[in-house]
Amino acid sequence: MPRLDIVDLKAAYGSLTVLDGITVSVGSGKVLGLIGPSGSGKSTILRVLVGLLKPAAGRVLLDDVEVRYSNAGDVKRVRDQLAIVFQQYNLFQNMNVLDNVTIAPVKIRGRSRGEVEQDARELLAKVGLADKLKSYPDELSGGQQQRVAIARALALKPEILLLDEITAALDPELVSEVLDTIRVLASEGMTMLIVSHEMGFIREVSSKVAFMADGKVVEMGAPAQIFDAPSEERTRDFVSKILRH
Amino acid sequence: MSYTLQYGQIWPYLPFLLDGALLSLQIAFLAFCGGLFIGTLGAAGKTFGGPIVKRLINVYVVFLTNTPQLVQIYFLYFALPDVGILLSSYVAVLIGMTLNAGAYLTEIQRAGFESVRQTEMEAAETLGFSRAQQIRYVIMPHVARVLFPPLSNHYILMTLGTSMAAIFGVEELTGRAFNVNAETFRSIEVFSVTALMYIVITVAATAILAVIGRVLLRARMRII
Repeated sequence: MPRLDIVDLKAAYGSLTVLDGITVSVGSGKVLGLIGPSGSGKSTILRVLVGLLKPAAGRVLLDDVEVRYSNAGDVKRVRDQLAIVFQQYNLFQNMNVLDNVTIAPVKIRGRSRGEVEQDARELLAKVGLADKLKSYPDELSGGQQQRVAIARALALKPEILLLDEITAALDPELVSEVLDTIRVLASEGMTMLIVSHEMGFIREVSSKVAFMADGKVVEMGAPAQIFDAPSEERTRDFVSKILRH
Repeated sequence: MSYTLQYGQIWPYLPFLLDGALLSLQIAFLAFCGGLFIGTLGAAGKTFGGPIVKRLINVYVVFLTNTPQLVQIYFLYFALPDVGILLSSYVAVLIGMTLNAGAYLTEIQRAGFESVRQTEMEAAETLGFSRAQQIRYVIMPHVARVLFPPLSNHYILMTLGTSMAAIFGVEELTGRAFNVNAETFRSIEVFSVTALMYIVITVAATAILAVIGRVLLRARMRII
């Protein structure tokens, strides 16, 4: 059963500290929502988890086994079990939708093409793109591209899915189609870490919400507590500002 | 002032001219391939090399793209013999065009290398692609798609540029046209037929390259 524990994690871009001792965890089938102002370090946590940024200190435990990010084998293991979806979709522009979804399982994991394609078709049908298999990313809307990116991440059968502001680059009318996809995943028991500014959505799907500021977790708790009865001044400030409009 | 066109007089020379056109194509193709090789090394050096390598490549590019190609070939053909290097006119033209192409293609390819999206690389990395797999599946197809149209354009320009070889007595299409003109004095007929041959060659090449680019690489190219 997937379980992720982050203990006193620190990370920096050069001399700029972006994570200053983060301790959070997410259990099997749970959804952890990460909220907070821009620059608070939410996305950086996800980047550290998938090995795009080396942590400066602290520990990450995946299923109770420590991940050493300086060790290539450990990074490979973590990338086998975690999948990330980015704000800018980051699809491979030179491949059609089906190839985008199948390339990693076929070329990297060495699974048979037929079996992977069958899975991919099902995944793409699930995200509502069964009729776009042969389309290229530049022929799709942002919302469609993002749903392809979600299918691509799921094709690797990850234990935990990381979502990094996946609706932030979308036109408002395209946001719901992407969030609906995530709602389905949450209801199926997918373990997820979600960074988002869609507060209503975070509140609805999260089992637990962490409010972050300046590289620290200011407050963590059940969605109702964070949004309705925050105990920290900083959280109250943020929530009142963001829920006012 | 009346002039009667007499294309009949140059019909017999048509195979002779077509033979010259083949030599034009050969020069353009060889110089382009050589230039592509130099350009790939140059672009790799400018993208990944150290400061000294970058400086040296810059000197090469600046000199070769800011002097007339004719002067460059003159230099090879007339100046090098003074230091004991004697090149035939064909070889001088070929080397001159290759070096010139190398400089332009260095710049064109560098732009292609730089257009690789960092975000796609990150996605590939987190999906578990090794560095080599990233190059094979993400970088190369992207670079090929981005570079194919400008490289095709340069190839067409080089095909026309081969006419410079006539100045050095190389018997490619323009050189042979000179000769036919000298024998028949039918300038209008000779040079209009020659021009037509160049048009056919370049239009055909443009169309073929555009089809290849669109079918294989999804490059945005117009077929004529």
